[in-house]
Amino acid sequence: MSLLEVRDLRTHFFTRAGVVKAVEGVSFSLAKGEILGLVGESGSGKSVTGFSLIGLVDPPGRIAGGSIRFEGRELVGLPAQEMRALRGKRIAMVFQDPAATLNPVLSIGQQMALAVRAHGRASEAAARDLAARTLTRVGIPDAAARLDAYPHEFSGGMRQRVAIATALLHGPDLIIADEPTTALDVSIQAQILAEMKSLAKETGTALVWISHDLATVSSLADRVLVMYAGRIVEAGAVGETLRAPRHPYTRGLLDSLPAMARPGEKLNQIPGTTPSLLSLPPGCPFAPRCPRADATCATDPPDVVTAGRLVRCHHPLEAS
Amino acid sequence: MLGFIIQRLLQAGLVMLAMSALVFLGVYAIGNPIDVLISPDATQDIRAAAIRSFGLDLPLWQQYLAFLGRLLSGDFGRSFVFGTPVIDLVLARLPATLELALASVLIGAFIGIPLGIYAGYKPESPAARGIMAVSVLGFSVPTFWVGLILILFFAVHLDWLPAGNRGPTAEFLGVQWSFLTREGLTFLILPALNLSLFKLAMMIRLARAGTREVMLTDTVKFARAAGLSELTILRRHVLRLISIPLVTVFGLEFGSTLAFAVVTETIFSWPGVGKLIIDSITSLDRPVMVAYLVLVAFLFVTINLVVDLSYALLDPRLRRGGRAS
Repeated sequence: MSLLEVRDLRTHFFTRAGVVKAVEGVSFSLAKGEILGLVGESGSGKSVTGFSLIGLVDPPGRIAGGSIRFEGRELVGLPAQEMRALRGKRIAMVFQDPAATLNPVLSIGQQMALAVRAHGRASEAAARDLAARTLTRVGIPDAAARLDAYPHEFSGGMRQRVAIATALLHGPDLIIADEPTTALDVSIQAQILAEMKSLAKETGTALVWISHDLATVSSLADRVLVMYAGRIVEAGAVGETLRAPRHPYTRGLLDSLPAMARPGEKLNQIPGTTPSLLSLPPGCPFAPRCPRADATCATDPPDVVTAGRLVRCHHPLEAS
Repeated sequence: MLGFIIQRLLQAGLVMLAMSALVFLGVYAIGNPIDVLISPDATQDIRAAAIRSFGLDLPLWQQYLAFLGRLLSGDFGRSFVFGTPVIDLVLARLPATLELALASVLIGAFIGIPLGIYAGYKPESPAARGIMAVSVLGFSVPTFWVGLILILFFAVHLDWLPAGNRGPTAEFLGVQWSFLTREGLTFLILPALNLSLFKLAMMIRLARAGTREVMLTDTVKFARAAGLSELTILRRHVLRLISIPLVTVFGLEFGSTLAFAVVTETIFSWPGVGKLIIDSITSLDRPVMVAYLVLVAFLFVTINLVVDLSYALLDPRLRRGGRAS
């Protein structure tokens, strides 16, 4: 049985201007210990998907339909208390900016002790001990002594390690990582990536890695989901999908990477901008920006599944 | 830290010096105390003798310097009216005002902050709207009117609480306090409630605004993602994050209540310094006015210093000379 089964997830924001369908019919599954990359531009619904999994969609948003099964248990519509018992214990989350996530006026030890005690009684000493051991695991030297330090006394990379350690405290089965390296220096990014990967493999923790950075995802993930306007447009094993993308959008994302371009050549951008989720065109939402679009694209694109890969397109690129 | 405290103490000294000069000048301009103190049909000799005995025949700057000189040796002078040392007069009244002010600020904080946090946590709920309506009332209804209504209702109509005066007191550290006796406490309740209404409204607004802001931050989201209960998040994360403006206003309100609780003290016949200053103004009792206002300046400076020091306690980023990132 897979760890996580998401079926037709729809998370909508009921704003005054109308219903924003931030996530519209997303389905995927995740095996124990698997690392899944969730890729897309800003506003593609990748973060909202992450928050839906952990039950933290802010109002006016809510899960409007679909199913999230975690170890066979339905999370959509789960009472708040039961959802809270899962959060931090079985499903944890790490955010983008560690400077904003850690509380500046509480010491690292105090914050981690709160997270320890959120799931059962623990003595002061036991909570500190668990915190120190977890900090050591994420590569913070002299952790026991640093428990009394405050977030501003750590560097950005160290802060993110503290946040990751907080997520790891109870040995969760699933960690949702929402762009956790975006706010860090490139050299630190690589370190954190390598550490996250080895921690996940070592503990058997599954990882949903949300990122707009294809390079990060390609070095980390086992599988990748590409999202556009709240939908999955392409999914597959990370190597194949990024080497030979079949959806024109994935192709466009890859072409706009500087690393893919030849020196001196202009970068290939995807023309236009992400559409407003309030006024999506009928059919394929990417059609207005797509070089391969024609009249058929005004109808909903089919899911084309071949050899474990999914592409949602009327005119997919040929698999090479 | 020590350098900071020394610097603040020097500033405090300057503020009080300037305050004393301003007050001295201002009070001098109000009128001649002799006109009030001596009956109009006194002979010229008696007048001259009285003027000389109060030191009012000297030029203003000499009077001021003499006052300063005495002040440095801890002598605030004698009241023109009572003939007793001013410092005794003020210190006899100060504890009454001190406990009244403290009680009202504490009521405001202990009721206002939780209500404000709740109103910020669930801003759309009917309870939050009710709380905000109370805070609008607290701001806009005049103190004296609320005081009279409180007396009418609790003292006259229900006869639960005394309508005025201070009631019995007990001695602690050589000073008389009401809150130490059970009956004294009943005398304290109504005036303290009356004074606390404005503070309550202020604390509600501040706590609500802070909470609304903090609830949207990633800190709260991250705490939720770690599985913390909402109550723990509010008590341990939010309260700490919004505490700096609350402490600031707490200090300022405490100071201004100490100095200007006049209306409430008058309505409830509370024998505090507010009543003393009003009486001294009507009788142009210059030493009392000057001593009182210098004391008020001293209290404000002290309270501000304590507030500044407590910032460092509340926010680690402000410690060690502000080595913030």
